[in-house]
Parts: sequence; C-alpha cells; structure tokens
Amino acid sequence: MTFVRDDLRPVQRRLATLLVAAALGFGLLAVRLWVLQIVQGPRWRTAAENNRLRRLPLEAPRGTVTDVHGEVILDNRPTYQLLLFPEEMKDRARTAAFLTSLGIASADEIDARLAKACRTSHLPSVIADNLTWPQVATIAAHRAEYRELDVHPATRRSLPNGAAVAHLVGQLGEVSPEQLAADPALRSGELVGRSGIERAYQDVLGGTPGNLVVVVDAFGRQVSALAEEPPVPGHPLRTTIDLDLQKEAAAAMTGLVGAVVALDPRDGAVRVLLSQPAFDPELFAGHLEPAKWRELISDPLDPLHDRALQALYPPGSTIKPLFAAGALRDGIRTPSDSVYCTGAVNIYGHPYRCWQKGGHGRVDLDEAIEVSCDSFFYHLAHDAGIDHLAAWARAFGLGSPTGIEIGGESSGLVPDEAWSRKARGQPWYGGETISVGIGQGPILVTPIQLAVAYSALVNGGLLVQPHLVEGQGRPPRPIGFPPAVLAEVQRAMELVVAGPRGTARRLAALPVRIAGKTGTSQVIHKQDGVTWQQLPWNERHHALFVGYAPVGNPELVVAVVVEHGGDAASVAAPIAGRILERAFGPPSGPAAVTASKAAPDEPATRVAAAPPLPRPAEGTDKPPRPTR
Amino acid sequence: MRRLDPWLLLSALAIAACSYLAQGSTAKALATPGFANRQIVWLAVGGVVMLLFAFTDYRVLARLSPFLYVASLGVLVSLFVIAPARAGTHRWLLFGSFTVQPSDFARIATMLAVAALAGEHRKERLDLKTVARLAGMVGVPAALVLLQPDLGTAVTFGPILLTALWLGGLPWRAWVGLVVAAAVVVGCAWFWVLRPYQQERILTFVDPDRAPFSSGYQQRQSKIAVGSGETAGKGLQSGTQSQLRFLPAQYTDFIFAVWAEETGFIGSALLLAAYALMVYRAFVIALSARDRVGAVFAGCASAVLAVQILVNVGMVTGVAPTTGITLPLLSYGGSSVLATSIALGILQSIWRLRYANV
Repeated sequence: MTFVRDDLRPVQRRLATLLVAAALGFGLLAVRLWVLQIVQGPRWRTAAENNRLRRLPLEAPRGTVTDVHGEVILDNRPTYQLLLFPEEMKDRARTAAFLTSLGIASADEIDARLAKACRTSHLPSVIADNLTWPQVATIAAHRAEYRELDVHPATRRSLPNGAAVAHLVGQLGEVSPEQLAADPALRSGELVGRSGIERAYQDVLGGTPGNLVVVVDAFGRQVSALAEEPPVPGHPLRTTIDLDLQKEAAAAMTGLVGAVVALDPRDGAVRVLLSQPAFDPELFAGHLEPAKWRELISDPLDPLHDRALQALYPPGSTIKPLFAAGALRDGIRTPSDSVYCTGAVNIYGHPYRCWQKGGHGRVDLDEAIEVSCDSFFYHLAHDAGIDHLAAWARAFGLGSPTGIEIGGESSGLVPDEAWSRKARGQPWYGGETISVGIGQGPILVTPIQLAVAYSALVNGGLLVQPHLVEGQGRPPRPIGFPPAVLAEVQRAMELVVAGPRGTARRLAALPVRIAGKTGTSQVIHKQDGVTWQQLPWNERHHALFVGYAPVGNPELVVAVVVEHGGDAASVAAPIAGRILERAFGPPSGPAAVTASKAAPDEPATRVAAAPPLPRPAEGTDKPPRPTR
Repeated sequence: MRRLDPWLLLSALAIAACSYLAQGSTAKALATPGFANRQIVWLAVGGVVMLLFAFTDYRVLARLSPFLYVASLGVLVSLFVIAPARAGTHRWLLFGSFTVQPSDFARIATMLAVAALAGEHRKERLDLKTVARLAGMVGVPAALVLLQPDLGTAVTFGPILLTALWLGGLPWRAWVGLVVAAAVVVGCAWFWVLRPYQQERILTFVDPDRAPFSSGYQQRQSKIAVGSGETAGKGLQSGTQSQLRFLPAQYTDFIFAVWAEETGFIGSALLLAAYALMVYRAFVIALSARDRVGAVFAGCASAVLAVQILVNVGMVTGVAPTTGITLPLLSYGGSSVLATSIALGILQSIWRLRYANV
C-alpha cells in the first residue's frame, strides 16, 4: 500500500452498528404498518366511515285520522323546518341576532334553542319549524353568510277543526328516555303521541323514520348524499267519532267549562268526546314557546285537563234513574210506591230538603224522576242502605275506568262503609247515605262514566266499553237488570222531557223525541232567596244532563256537564238537545234550542246556553253538600 | 454518471414519484392545484442540484466548511433581526414569493463542519477538547433553530452530534455522562425553552386522551387514515380522510398518511422499502468512503435521514410524538427538498471518489 490512508476500520465497525440500529428501526415501522393496515385495518376503516358518514333522520309522516264518515280530523301538511348544524356556527350571537330579526322567536328563546343545539354536538338540530314563506326566502338569500342554517322540508300535524278535537286527538312530544330504552325502534328526538288518540294509536299512526346518509367533510359540511332509506308513513286510522256532532258540541259549549260525551249505546262507539275549555292543538305540533306553555298551565281553568275522562263531578240527580232501576229490581220499590213530598224530609233528626221549596205533593217513581223529587230518593236511599246504592252504581260501571283506549281516566268514587274506614279513617254515617241517594255527598263520576251508565239503562242492560275505533271495545256485558225494570225507568226519563212537569220539558219543542235526566249538583249550600245568576261563577252549581234519542230505539246517548253552569234545564239540557237534533233532526236546519222555547214556570229561563264566563277568583270548588 | 450509485439514485427517483402522486391527492383535497406542480419543480431542481454536488469534490466542500458554517450561523441569527415573524416564528426568509427555510441548509453546513473536524482528528479515541468543539458546533445552530421556535428541525441536529461522537469512539463512561447531561438539558429545555404547545404535544403523546381535539385529534385522524387504507388502499385521490380534510397538515408532516390511505399496505410498504434502500445505500457509501471526512459526513447524513424517516413515519402511525419533522423528499417544501438533494449529492460525490488517490 503506497497511499497514505486513514485507518477507517474502527469507524466502519461503528457504522455497521448504526446500520443495524437503523435496520431495526425500519423493521419495527414495517411491523407497525402491518399491524395498522392489515391486522387492525377493518377497525380503522369503520372509524373512517364514521368520520365521513352522517345519518340524517327523515321523519315519517304520521297517519291521518278520520271520523266515522271519512271526514278528516287530523292530517299532515308540508312545512319547512330550520336546521342548525352546530359545527358550522362560528358566532352564536350573530346567528341569534339573524334569527331574531326573522321573527322566529324571542331573543331569549332563540338563545336557549341554540345553546341546546350546541350541546347535542355534531347532529343537526331543528331550531324552528312552520317557517313562513318570507322567512324561507330570507334564509335562502343569506345562505352564504349563514352556512350553519339550512331549510329542510318536513310535515307537520294539521287539525282543520282545531280546538274542537284538541283533547280527543291529544298531543305529540319528543320521545322520552324511558320510551327509548323500552322500544329500540324509536329514535331520539322522534315525535310520538303523548296523549289522546295520538298516544293510544301510536303503533298505527307512527311510521318508521328513514335515513339520509350523507358524506361530510372534517368541517361537517355535506359533500354529497350517499344513500337514502325512505321513511315509511304511518297508517291511516278511521275512528267512530262523528266530526259533525263533535263540532256541534264544541259550538254549543263555547265559553263554557265542562265536557260532552256521546256514545252509541248499542256498542259503545264514541261519537263525541269534548272537553272545554280547549287549547289550540297546533301549539303542540312543533316548538312550543315556553311563554305559551306557562300561559296554558297557569290558566285557572286548566285547558289542558281532559274533563271528559278525568274530571270528577257529583252526579246530582242524574244518578236517580240508576237507583230507581236498582230499587225496582231488588224489590225495595214497586212502580206504584209513592211518597208525599212536602219540600223536606226528616231523617236521623236532620231535615233533608227537596229542591222544590213547596214540595211536589204525592209522587210515584215515574213522577219522582220526571220532577226530580229529592224527597222520594231520600226515602229510597234510607230504605236501601249504602251497600245497595254502591252495588247499583258499580253495576252501571261507576267507580272504575270505562276502558276507553285513551288512558289516564279517573276511576270516580262510589263510596261505601269499607271505603270510608279505609280512605277517611272514620265510620260511614247514615246521613251520608241520604245525600248519596240524590247524587251528592262523596260520590263522584266522570262524564264518560255517566254516558256509559245511561247506555246500559237504554240498551237493555249491557255495559259497553267505549271505544274510538270500530271493533276495539270488548263485547257488551249484561249487568243483570231485567228489561221490564229498565223499560220502567226509560218511561220515567221520557217524562222528563215529555211530561207536563218534566224538568227538561223545554226539549219537547225539538223536532226529535228525546229522553234523559237533568242533574244540578251543588257546590255550596243553597241560600234562600238567591237565584243562581246572582252567585259568583265558582259558587254556582254544576249543570248536568244525560239524554238519548231516538226514544224507543236509542242510537245516541249524550252526557253533558257544565261546571258551575248553574242550572241543568236551561244550560246543560239545551246543549244535549242541539247535539241530538243535529244527529237525528231534519238535515238542513241549523240546530238551535233557544230560551224562547222554555217553559214559563222556571225563573232561570231567560238565560241562553252561553252565560258570561267569569274566571274563578280563587281556589277550587268546595265539596258539595246535600240538598236538591 | 456511471460512477454514481444507481441504487441511491433509484430510491430517490421512486420517492420523488410517490411525492408527486401524494402531493397531487393533497392538492385536490385542499383545492390548491399549484402545490403538486410546484413540488415537481422543486424535485426537478433538486435533481439538478444533486448532480451538481455529486460532481463536486466533497473534500473541497469540507475545506470550505468553516466559511459555510459561519455564514449559515449568520443567516440563522439574522432571521431574528430581519425576518418578519410568520405564524409567531422566525423560520423563513422571504425572496419575493419564495420562502426559504435556512435551518435545512444550516444542517448540511453543520454536517460538513463536523466531518471536516473529524478528518483532522486522527486519534483512536476522542479527546475532551474535540468533544466540546463538536458539541458546540452542533449545539449553537440547534439552539438557534429551537429558539425560532422550530422543535422538529432542531431535533434533526441531534443525530449529527451523536453520530460524530459514536464514530469518534467516545468511551462508555462519557456516554453515561452524556446521558446525564442530556437529561439536564432536556429538563432545562422543558421549563425554559419549550413553549406550552410543545409541552402539550409531548404530554399528549404520552397520554393521548389529554387533548382529543388538538394533537391527539391529529394523531388519531392520521392513524385512521393509515389503518383504513388496509391492504390495497382506497385509490389515489380517493382517500376519505385526506379528501374530506380530516387529516391535518397533510402536505407536509402527515403526507405519509395520505399515501398510506390511498395505496394501502402495499404502497406504504414499498415506499418504506425505498426509504430503507436510500438509508442502506447511504450507510454503504459511509462504509466505503476513502477517508474519515467522507465516512463521517456520510454516517451523519445516513443517521439524519434515518431519524427523519423513522420519527415522521412513527408519528404518522402513532408510535412517536408529533414533533413537526418532515419526511425527506415526500413532504412539500423547496428548502426541505433542496437540502435533502444536496445531502444526496454529497453522498454521491463520496461514492464517486471512493477509490480516488488524490
């Protein structure tokens, strides 16, 4: 070797070590790539898909609801929803100001909705629905400035008859967490029936929501639509309701507080189910403004309360035909047994007064129902005892829910000794039996129970289950009352309208033959020399009337309760008359039972069906006390 | 040309081709078609520069290295004075519409200076004075870069010093001392030099759940991109992670993820093999260098290349922290491409002259 060269062998040895280290590093990276891409590949592919694919729920239109004639009660109409994509929103205050300027809601309300939408992260939220055309146009014009907003077509419940069917149809609301847990088919944010038909027939009316799968980029913008799974609409539902009669009832009850229930007594098909005052059901079809909600729940008349199924009233004299039937069947009275009414009865050392101050004179059972003589029924109740009264009331379905598809019914109350000891912790007093005899005291019924009880009275003694859809009620069940007994009571109820002294004789002027029974249940003690019109609204009596037609072959039973209506004959009976006339009267004539047709001997006849409606100043009804 | 190493050339060409394809995908995703075209221009310029350096005698460069080294330090210092801060850092020099990142070139100058120093040192073992000179020679530019602040590039100075010390035969006691010193330096750097965002990145690497939406988010998206490529990939310009912009910094630090997503394990393994070939040939050149200067320069260049590749791909596949180290030739950027080309050119020069007698 002639060249002068460095001895590089140590350096080369060390370089070789470095090369081995680098090779090791590359080997490890190769293994890492193999693990990520081959071993865990499918898992990361799923993660990538989840990154880019977003499912947008497509609402399924709910089924339409029609009445017995095919008239539309509940439909859908197209509407525009405003969707917010929270990830796109750069400046919440700016968005809020824009939405406020559109008049979508109050500034506070919009702030609250935006805050809620942001909490639900990446999914688009419905900020408003039912947008007006000018709103849709303005949002479209500002699309580029407000990329977080998008207008989306949707459907919304429409109720051509609004408040007339509010409680019947019920409300929709977002599915609750418990429902979500129970039913895997439901989806978060989905609207489901919360009450009324919407809830009872959720399975029929609710469709299956669809999906729109869209590709989004890292900023949440939709790049393209990948797949669409169309929603399956809900099924239509035909009910037994007669919309014509329902509207007639709503018109007759305008300005009043109470309920109307009309059934076909032969099978229990519900024709009218009305509670007043009502609310605008469209309020619940979309976003309900908190202010409106507060207004509704703080209204002392409680328009959200379904009085037809839930409100409890003392039945008053409407209980008398039931007890008369019971007394006849069990031999406690015969049709010819009579009582001499002097205007008051002394039992257990206490005077029980009849509503007729001067007394009715001698009355037999038919006359006692015709004139609604309290004295007759005081004696009857005394002779029968509370156990008999309770058994009769229960036989007619009082004291337990009727079983209509819409849940949330009240049971009512049929008191007896066992109840008294258990619920009140005190013995039953004989005097209370006397009060129960005329439908006062602790006995309480719902309007629908009254309609069911009267159906049994007029259909030959069958207890029906009221239902809103054909074929849903269980078959009518005999309650063990012989036809002769019921025929006797029916004759008496015909006299209520047709008899010379009948309490509802004003209905005799109608073109339809009606029968029924009035009931005026007391809220406070009767004061002498004070007419009911002079009392404050909330101290007036409840006015009840249960009527049916056609006489002889009843096809419709109508129960009317007007809270603090004051007088059954002049307030409640004409409402039932209007509905029955509408159902069976001449087709053209507008139904009108006016005060001019009233009999001359009652002082309250001047007042038409709709007296002015003062709001109660405070509290609720005082418990009714016996008399009339 | 015959005297150049064909394997080194081939690996560089293969990586350049991958770079053009990957940059094309990214350009489509970010709707910046100019990027891919500019990258191909830089790669072409890099090829010319490489040949230029390949046919220059590296020993001349080594002799000039004191001047080059001092000049590069001067530029690094001047960055703090004349360069306007961009995105809060002093990394770039602006020439009209071009931006130049001088730290990439300072690294080459540092390697040359270290190699020149090693060439003068003829003892079997390094003495303390030489160790101190080496440490200062590498430490000063690295510190200047760290102060810009640019942690990623500063880290790439580390392998220069370590390789020089290793090749110089530092005794094991000194390595122990070095580890202790490094611990002290790292400790001090943690508290006084590293910015909170840099500390956060390292903490996030240790515990990815710390910040799922910042550094952790980036690394997670990168792993999703690489993993979802599976065996054969989603096809060029069809990667969902890159095209829908879930991947961060995809034309620079995370460009390997774009490639891996769209070409799958087949593509990423081939690219990794090309890099392995490049590093292997660099080491072979170091082993066959005719003198100490060539061996040390080639050794340092191999180590720097290897560290850049291993740390970047490790970061993309989630086994190394996000440091901001670019991937040689594949990442977008003229300075990075040119600096790598110069290093490759000098390596070719060492190979070409391995039997030279003069």
